[in-house]
Amino acid sequence: MNLNLMLASRYLGGRKLRTFLTTLAIVFGVVILFGMNIILPSMMQAMEANMKAAAGVVDFSISSVSGDAFDPAVMSRLEGIEEISAVAPSFTRIFNLGADFLDNDPDSPDRITAIQLVGMDPDAVQTLRAFPISSGRFLQSGDTNAAVISQSLADAQLLTVGDTLTLPSVNGLTDLTLVGILPPRTLPGNEEVYTTLSAAQEMSGQPGRITSIDVNVALDAADQEGRDAVAAEIQSQLGSSYTIGALSSGTDVFAVLQMSQAILSMFGVMALFMGGFIIHNTFRTVLMERQHDIGMLRAVGASRRTILGLFIAEGLIQGVLGTIVGLALGYLLGVGILKAAEGPISAFVNIRLDNPVVSPGIVLLSIVMGIGVTVVAGILPAVRASRITPLEALRPTSAQADFERERGRGFWVGALLVLASIIMLFVGQEAMIAAGGFVFLIGLVFLAPAIVRPVTDMFSVLLGRLYAREGTGEVARGNMLRQPARVATTASASMIGLAVIVAVGAVLTSMTGTMTDVLRQNLGSDYLMVPPSIGLWANNVGASAGLAEELSAIDGVGPVATTRFAGSASDGVAISLLGIDPAIYPQVSGMAFQEGDESAYEVLAAGRAMIVNGAFLMATGAELGDTLELATPDGVQSYRIVAVAADMFNAKVTTAFISQANMAADFGRAEDVLIQLNLEEGAEAETVDTEIRAIMHDYPQFNTIAGRAYVEQMLGYLNAVFSALYFLLAFLAVPSLIAMLNTLTISVIERTREIGMLRAVGATRRQVRRMVTAEALLLAGIGTGMGLLSGLYLGYSWVVAMDAFFPMSYSFPIAGLIAGLATGLIFGALAGLIPARQAAKMDVVAALRYE
Amino acid sequence: MNTVKTEGLTKIYGSGNTAVTALDSINIHAAEGEFVAVMGPSGCGKSTLLHLLGGLDHPTRGKVLINGQDIAEMTDDALTELRRREMGFVFQFFNLLPVLSAVENAALPIMLDGVKPDEAKVKATEWLTRFGLADRLANRPDQLSGGQQQRVAVARALVSEPKLVLADEPTGNLDTRSGDEIAALLRDVSQKYGRTVVMVSHDPRIAAYADRIIFLKDGKVIDETLLEQKNGKNAEMVAERMTKLAN
Repeated sequence: MNLNLMLASRYLGGRKLRTFLTTLAIVFGVVILFGMNIILPSMMQAMEANMKAAAGVVDFSISSVSGDAFDPAVMSRLEGIEEISAVAPSFTRIFNLGADFLDNDPDSPDRITAIQLVGMDPDAVQTLRAFPISSGRFLQSGDTNAAVISQSLADAQLLTVGDTLTLPSVNGLTDLTLVGILPPRTLPGNEEVYTTLSAAQEMSGQPGRITSIDVNVALDAADQEGRDAVAAEIQSQLGSSYTIGALSSGTDVFAVLQMSQAILSMFGVMALFMGGFIIHNTFRTVLMERQHDIGMLRAVGASRRTILGLFIAEGLIQGVLGTIVGLALGYLLGVGILKAAEGPISAFVNIRLDNPVVSPGIVLLSIVMGIGVTVVAGILPAVRASRITPLEALRPTSAQADFERERGRGFWVGALLVLASIIMLFVGQEAMIAAGGFVFLIGLVFLAPAIVRPVTDMFSVLLGRLYAREGTGEVARGNMLRQPARVATTASASMIGLAVIVAVGAVLTSMTGTMTDVLRQNLGSDYLMVPPSIGLWANNVGASAGLAEELSAIDGVGPVATTRFAGSASDGVAISLLGIDPAIYPQVSGMAFQEGDESAYEVLAAGRAMIVNGAFLMATGAELGDTLELATPDGVQSYRIVAVAADMFNAKVTTAFISQANMAADFGRAEDVLIQLNLEEGAEAETVDTEIRAIMHDYPQFNTIAGRAYVEQMLGYLNAVFSALYFLLAFLAVPSLIAMLNTLTISVIERTREIGMLRAVGATRRQVRRMVTAEALLLAGIGTGMGLLSGLYLGYSWVVAMDAFFPMSYSFPIAGLIAGLATGLIFGALAGLIPARQAAKMDVVAALRYE
Repeated sequence: MNTVKTEGLTKIYGSGNTAVTALDSINIHAAEGEFVAVMGPSGCGKSTLLHLLGGLDHPTRGKVLINGQDIAEMTDDALTELRRREMGFVFQFFNLLPVLSAVENAALPIMLDGVKPDEAKVKATEWLTRFGLADRLANRPDQLSGGQQQRVAVARALVSEPKLVLADEPTGNLDTRSGDEIAALLRDVSQKYGRTVVMVSHDPRIAAYADRIIFLKDGKVIDETLLEQKNGKNAEMVAERMTKLAN
């Protein structure tokens, strides 16, 4: 056997506990990296597929500008666009059902007054969307007059697979045979009846025509630029007689998912960073402990290269071992978490988690990172080890103070980085701010050795009070100051763990806060009359102003706010214009303002002004205060941007709000597509409800929803997504805390001899235990302090950086801070407990002889 | 021919006001097969001298000649090789690798030199057997007594067949009986196996095993004494002389 390998394996074998702990650190790094990457894509994939299925959403939906059916030959024009992964034609038509059509009972109110018939090519559509059939099967290409419906529709009609559903058609009544049932419908809108393309065309008397082309692209959900480019390409291929709709009603949840994806891939990077630190730290302590042996080896003729080789060989052995175990555990953990998450998630949302996705790339990355990081983390100490002079061997003990320079090059590098990150924060550019977060973190890592002394001094005052007249606090403090670099590395590892907790906590708090605000403000109205397609307003049939007047006339109904739609464009960018009544809208609904405030409503009433959303700014490149020319049926009109705000329905659709007066004047539209109303205080809820529903009965194109109930439902939905995120957060946090314990244990082992000496000169077991505990608390204090600081910066920078695709207001994560502080300190004390007991129990003679 | 020779060897630690002269123009030599002891009170520069002879430290002025070659001009790699092949070290604290067995520890220098482990172990076994450790070959250092550990260290120093063995207080950590054994062993190393041994010690009884004693005080050679090994009263004589020189 190679001498290096022999020595390395002997050292590893001779220090079983130490080897175990170091390897454990590597295992954790690989477990997090690998496990996280198993969970994430699986979760994202499943959520995306199910979300799309549930919301009936695809990446792009192409329809004709006029809303008429068109020739499917248009599809061939999309063939040249590379990013398109799947295309499917569909024919959709809303069928209003006559009174008592489904229930045949004139006495009971009709619950279903319209259905949406969706004709699809069964083979093509399944390349686009998943249809989680709960019983029976999905449509097949040879089917004639077959249908698939949701469980909720089936329940309402007491239908099961094999039964017949009769619907009106241009050819009279048509019988459809039910072949499959989908899960219940949870989103607003009409119940859908899925059938084959030809059946739907025949029932509508438009054979060979389609109403829309659904398109999916092979792009990351977060790749907004790529998506915009594809949309532009499609538009240029099809010409101006077609419009492209991007994600509709599921949009908001989808945006949250995109963000989670971005955050979670950062988790992976962080995990690796942390793993590297832990391993590096271990090798440093190994070096300290073995100084003597290395010196002797040098004295008896080992060259520098031999020493370097010895350390690298050790790193390699541990890296390979840790990586193998890490891969196995990571896989098990990933699969386990997916299994565990299945229950709670499916309780809220119809999400089916597929088998774990393990790409060969991730396996390779984990192996390269696991072994690579270990070897790299070992190289610095190895180089240092190879520089030890043989003289070290002749010194009686290696346990001598090592006051490393506190303000060396590292300090200045760190200071510069932190300064740079602060400047980056004020530049105001999203990419800069996001990068700044990481620069700040790395800067702190460099600054850490210099931070050790002041922070230690600060905490020592506290500890001094705690352990008065025992001197143990003083010894602990001395130990920390002796090796600021080691303390700093240890603290850095826990710092990164805590920073991630606080940062992600901040993002989640801000996100939930914003989403809840938007939901409450926008859907906080008591009643909501929504069309089937929210966001894709052009497809909806609205109501004349008469409906709103009728509703207002009901005794007990307060303000009624209506929203009107007109399509427009500015400089070639399609814009969804929404008309609101600036006086009434804020009373019933509302928006979350990012720039400007509520006073913008008055400006809307006064002239040609508009409130736009973030997507609008992104798409047009305009800024607050700019005046844009909007296309109207009679030429262009100039509108000025007076505020930037988001509403619930249109977060991702390029949207501008204008006054209904302007909409009538410039665009000639006065059709209400969305109605929101509040009840007066003290109104007789049940009576009013009956009256409202009676009126709405004549307007089957609207779904009447009690708004507050809807908000609660949506929040529940969001919470499910967020709990999954918090779950993953814990997954990252726990190993980082265990790693802290690990490092501390190693530091006790390292000082075995010193502890023996302390006991020999008269320290009681209790004093030794206290000393080690005090040290753990100090260490935890430093790590926690730095972690909270950098977590705040990171969190802020992420919130700001995400502003581009999901505008939200930053909420200071007080809860996250307190949780982080408590976790850090409690775990610090816990982490001290085990090593402290171990140290106290140590046999004095054995400890003194420990080499 | 002298195995080791110094010319005006000077070592000064620090500079300016805080400069300490550890060695001041030392001229000594040790012939092939000679056993030389270096004695002197604590802080007289004994250990520094030994470090310089072994190439572990660099002199401020002067030369160290090993087999006629000035080691000051050697690169670190060349020095490492020289230590590996031409010198053996014996330390006060044994400095055996805790994770290796006795035979592996003894074989270490030649394994570092690229000799196959099996071959190296055969050679190490020969030396350990000569030193009465044939039944302890597979034991790890913590399973050996101090005297046994030091004998393993001497075997390690000899395994590469070096011309020069440097011993730094080799008995400092041993009881009287084990100390005597090691000192006798070192005398055998020079007489039976023809190596040059330079040993630093402050113990007159141990130094008395040498052929010649060099007395150092304040970094200077103040006396040299040849010893007759047939005379059993050497130890008392050395002690007497040392006391006299110290005053």
